[in-house]
Amino acid sequence: MTPALSFDNVTIRMSTPDGGVLTVATDLSLDVGEGTFTAIVGPSGCGKSTLLNLAAGLLFAPEGKVRVFGDVLTGINRHAAYLFQQDALLPWRTVIDNVILGPVIRHVPAAEARRDARHWLARVGLAGFEDRFPHQLSGGMRKRVALAQSWIVNPRILLMDEPFSALDVQTRQIMETELLGLWQETRKTVLFVTHDLEEAIALADQVVVLSARPARIKGVYPVDLDRPRDVAEIRMIPHFIDLYNQIWADLRSEVGAAHAGS
Amino acid sequence: MPDPDAPATIATASTRREAGRPLIAVLQVAFFIFAMAAWQALTAIGVLDPFFFSRPGDVALRIWDWIWSGFIWPHLLVTLTEAMLAFVIGTVLGVIFGLAFARVRLLAAVFNPYIRIFNALPRVILAPIFLLWFGLGIASKVALGVTLVFMVVFFNTYQGIREVNPVLLNNVRMLQASQRQLLRYVYLPSAMTWIFSSLHTSIGFALVAAVVGEYLGSARGIGFVVAQAEGVFDTTGVFAGLILTSVVVLGIDLLIERLESYLLRWRPPV
Repeated sequence: MTPALSFDNVTIRMSTPDGGVLTVATDLSLDVGEGTFTAIVGPSGCGKSTLLNLAAGLLFAPEGKVRVFGDVLTGINRHAAYLFQQDALLPWRTVIDNVILGPVIRHVPAAEARRDARHWLARVGLAGFEDRFPHQLSGGMRKRVALAQSWIVNPRILLMDEPFSALDVQTRQIMETELLGLWQETRKTVLFVTHDLEEAIALADQVVVLSARPARIKGVYPVDLDRPRDVAEIRMIPHFIDLYNQIWADLRSEVGAAHAGS
Repeated sequence: MPDPDAPATIATASTRREAGRPLIAVLQVAFFIFAMAAWQALTAIGVLDPFFFSRPGDVALRIWDWIWSGFIWPHLLVTLTEAMLAFVIGTVLGVIFGLAFARVRLLAAVFNPYIRIFNALPRVILAPIFLLWFGLGIASKVALGVTLVFMVVFFNTYQGIREVNPVLLNNVRMLQASQRQLLRYVYLPSAMTWIFSSLHTSIGFALVAAVVGEYLGSARGIGFVVAQAEGVFDTTGVFAGLILTSVVVLGIDLLIERLESYLLRWRPPV
C-alpha cells in the first residue's frame, strides 16, 4: 500500500540573517501509513515544524522529495488540513463563519456549509457559540473551533503542530481525548508534532524521535498500546512507562546535545 | 470553558466608564463656556480688538443668521460634495494602489522614491495649478482633495497588507484559497483596521482641501464665503465659516466612529 505521506531523503537548508547557511535536516526518510497516528518528538528547534510545513506544501525541500499518496508534492497539499500551534482563526469572523471557510472556498452552497458547520461545532462541544468572535472564547474553545475548521473539509491527512501546547494541563487532556475520539471514528492519517513525550505515546501508533539540529531520524518506535485509550489513565500502565523510558533514553541525549549547541 | 477572569475585567471596565462619562461631559462643556466667556470678556474690556478678533456672540449670531436665512446651505452643500467626492475617489485609489504595492514587490521597489518625493511635497501648493488645469468649478477642489486623501489611505493600506499575520495566511492557504480568495478573506479584512484609522485623518484632509481650493478661487462654497468676508475685513464672517467647517468635520467624524465600531466589533476590548 502506498503510504499517505513519505519523505524521501529530504535535506533542508535555510539562509541565516548573517549570510550563512543552516542545515536544518539531513537525509530524512520517513513513511507514514494511511490511517495511522504518527507523533514526532525531538529537542526544541530541531526542525519538527519544518517537517510539517514540508508535508503541508508551505515549504519546499530543494533536495529530496515529499510524496502524498505516491504523488510528488509541488504545491499546497490538497489532501491535508493543518492545525497550527498559534491561533489561526480569522479574528474578524464569527465562530461559524470561521468553520465554514473551507467549504465556502470550495464553493459549497452557503446553506449546506452552515448546516455542516453547526454539526461540527456540536461535535466539538460548541453548540450555541456559533455567533461569538474568537476573542470571546477561551484558548481551549478556540482550539475546538480550529479542529472543526480543519475537520469539516474532510481531509485525508491531518497535520498538527503542537496544537495543545498553549493549553493548561486539564484542558489539554480533554482536547487529547476528544482528538482521539474523532480520530477513532474517521481514521484519518495524523502527523502530530509535540515536545511532550507522554502526549506522543498516549496518542500515537508510532513515535518518531528526531535528533538535535541538523535533524536526522534517531528512531521510530511502534506504540503497541490497546485502543481505545484513556489519555489520563494510560500514563499509569506499566507498558506505557516502559515505552516512555525506552524512548526517553534515546531522546535525552539529543535534548542534551541541543542544549550544548545553543 | 469561559475564562474566569473575563467577566470581572469587563465589569470593572464598564463601571469605570459609567462613572467617568458624565464628569467628562460636564468638564468639556465647562471648558467651552470658559473659553467663550474669556473671549467675550477680553473683547469687552478692550484687550482684544473686536475688529481683528470679533466676539463669540457675534459669531454665534452670524451662524444663526446664515442657517435661518438659508444663505449658507448651497455653499455648505458644494463644499461637502467636493469633500465627499475627494474622500471617496482618494480612498478607492489609495486602497487599490496600497494593495498593488504591497503585493507586487517590483512595483514597490521601482516607485518607492517617487512616492516619497510626492509625499514630501506640500501638496496644498498644488491648488493653484489645479485651478489652472481644472477651472474654478468643483473639479479642481476634488483633485486637490484626492491628492491629500490618497496618500494617507495608500500608506495605511500598504502597511496593513504588509503586516498581515502569516499564520492566518497559511491557515487559509491550507484551506485551499486562491490568490483572490486570500485577498478577500485575509488581506483586505486584516488591512481594514489600518484603513479605518486613516479615514479619520483623510475626511479632515478632504474638507480642508475643499475649503482651501474654494478660498483660492471659486464662486461657491464655505471657502468662498470666508474669502468674501476676509475681503471686506469681516472677521466675524471668517470665524463663523471656520467654526461651521469644524463642526461639520466633527459630525462626520462621529459618524465614521460609529461605523468603525460596528465594523470592527470583532476586536477584543482594549
